[in-house]
Amino acid sequence: MKLELGKIPIHDVKFDSESRIEGNTLYLNQEELISHLMVDENIKSITIDVARPGDKTRIMPVKDVIEPRVKVSGKGQVFPGTLSKVETVGQGRTNVLKGMAVVTTGKIVGFQEGIIDMSGPGADYTPFSKLVNLVVVCEPVEGIDQHTHEKTVRIAGLRAAAYLGNLAKDIEAEEIETYETYTVKESMEKFPDLPRVAYVLMLQTQGLLHDTYVYGVDMKHSLPTIIYPTELMDGAIISGNCVSACDKNTTYHHLNNPVVEDLFKKHGKELNFVAVVITNENVYLDDKERSSDWTSKLVEFLDVDGVIISQEGFGNPDTDLIMNCKKIEAKGIKTVIITDEYAGRDGASQSLADADESANAVVTAGNANMVIELPPMDKVIGYQEVADVIAGGFAGSLKPDGSITAELQVIVGATNELGFNKLSAR
Amino acid sequence: MIIITNNAKMMEETGNSIEKEYIDGTHKDVLIAVRDRIHKGHRLLTHPLSGSVKPNQTPFKSVAISKVPEKLDLDSLDIIEKSIRTYEQFEKIPTDNGKANNERILNDYREIDYKLLESALISANRRG
Repeated sequence: MKLELGKIPIHDVKFDSESRIEGNTLYLNQEELISHLMVDENIKSITIDVARPGDKTRIMPVKDVIEPRVKVSGKGQVFPGTLSKVETVGQGRTNVLKGMAVVTTGKIVGFQEGIIDMSGPGADYTPFSKLVNLVVVCEPVEGIDQHTHEKTVRIAGLRAAAYLGNLAKDIEAEEIETYETYTVKESMEKFPDLPRVAYVLMLQTQGLLHDTYVYGVDMKHSLPTIIYPTELMDGAIISGNCVSACDKNTTYHHLNNPVVEDLFKKHGKELNFVAVVITNENVYLDDKERSSDWTSKLVEFLDVDGVIISQEGFGNPDTDLIMNCKKIEAKGIKTVIITDEYAGRDGASQSLADADESANAVVTAGNANMVIELPPMDKVIGYQEVADVIAGGFAGSLKPDGSITAELQVIVGATNELGFNKLSAR
Repeated sequence: MIIITNNAKMMEETGNSIEKEYIDGTHKDVLIAVRDRIHKGHRLLTHPLSGSVKPNQTPFKSVAISKVPEKLDLDSLDIIEKSIRTYEQFEKIPTDNGKANNERILNDYREIDYKLLESALISANRRG
């Protein structure tokens, strides 16, 4: 399966009477986008704002970040099964608006975290501070439950991203990158001497505000399965995960999965990137046993030499991570796991809630308990009152001048367990 | 199954068909009660660290265990011991729940705890 990504750099977003892309600027007819999103009867009002890199702006509480994309050729449309009809994506050409994102905010429950600072020290911890962000603030009608509220915000974000992506449908991209996965037989013939590597992508699936959708299917009800990496790039996987800002995988992360990106860079040179295996992280322990049995069986069936496993979230998923690692290693296949740590504020405590001696190759994305200071910003997009809750609540404290002392876990993507972050150690 | 819980919503919503033990205590008290049951031979059915809401944030916890005690299940014991250790680690991190935990937020914590266990009940109901 082969996919070409046409990259269209966007340097700014401006409001105008007609939505269009000219050069590196996206012009947006705000009213048109708002009426496009207001089709959902659960939405009372929408406001749109733009936050640019370097602005003294704080966005919170962030629910999802989405990169606008559009299918130019090939089957299906972006976000299949969620926004468009179910049809296998991942081939042909897709245009991508690089350098910008749609960011959704909403106070679905009272203790929501999720900060993107566009400047200052907080900006250094999130990759999204480097993007021009079109922020969709979505106010629901009175009396809807949390589940409906979450879905409403999730779909509004995808709809906005598809609307913006569509503006690039007829643009000829200057930079085109090609990604190709071969069938099992083809790749064995092409790269007979290269080590075979699979990627086990664990998806958060615990329930309310902790869900992930694959072609519209709630992944907690699926067995682990195989997916072409290019399907991810067309939005086959959607985030409905609103908890644990630092290590949740937003839809943007699924579209730009750095493990997939890096494996493709080495594909056909140092290794043979065979497939992505997606699996879930359920609360029920029998589900964990079944799913980890299944991932180990699938990678054995693919006859791989090595597997990279990435996790999403904290605590309960640590058990899934270790089960996957143990069972795959037991089949004689080497693993590397990617996770983050909750090692206390001094970093000295146990990092994960589970461990095993077979987990002997670990990449960490940082310590989410680390305390940081966020200075006041001139502008807050979203819901300022949520800051007050974060303040008194658990993760930090809001001072009268608007500055926040918080654990790193409040920042979107700060310790992302796909490695899509800016922390590193020497 | 038996649900060990300190969440009133769990007691109200799941009806009488499922056996429940209400713990009039903290999140940690629930974990300790679960550990005691595991010592008696009950098996853990759901993960005690369910949810990405951290142990020092949510005051509510519900855990499902098997109904009939059998011989000690070492996997269950391992998971509950590790979960209690993780809880204790988070317990050391200062929080100020008093100011922020108004009734609306407490209700949200109850709802999340309830919904996460509900997702496990859907899986559990498939078993004979």
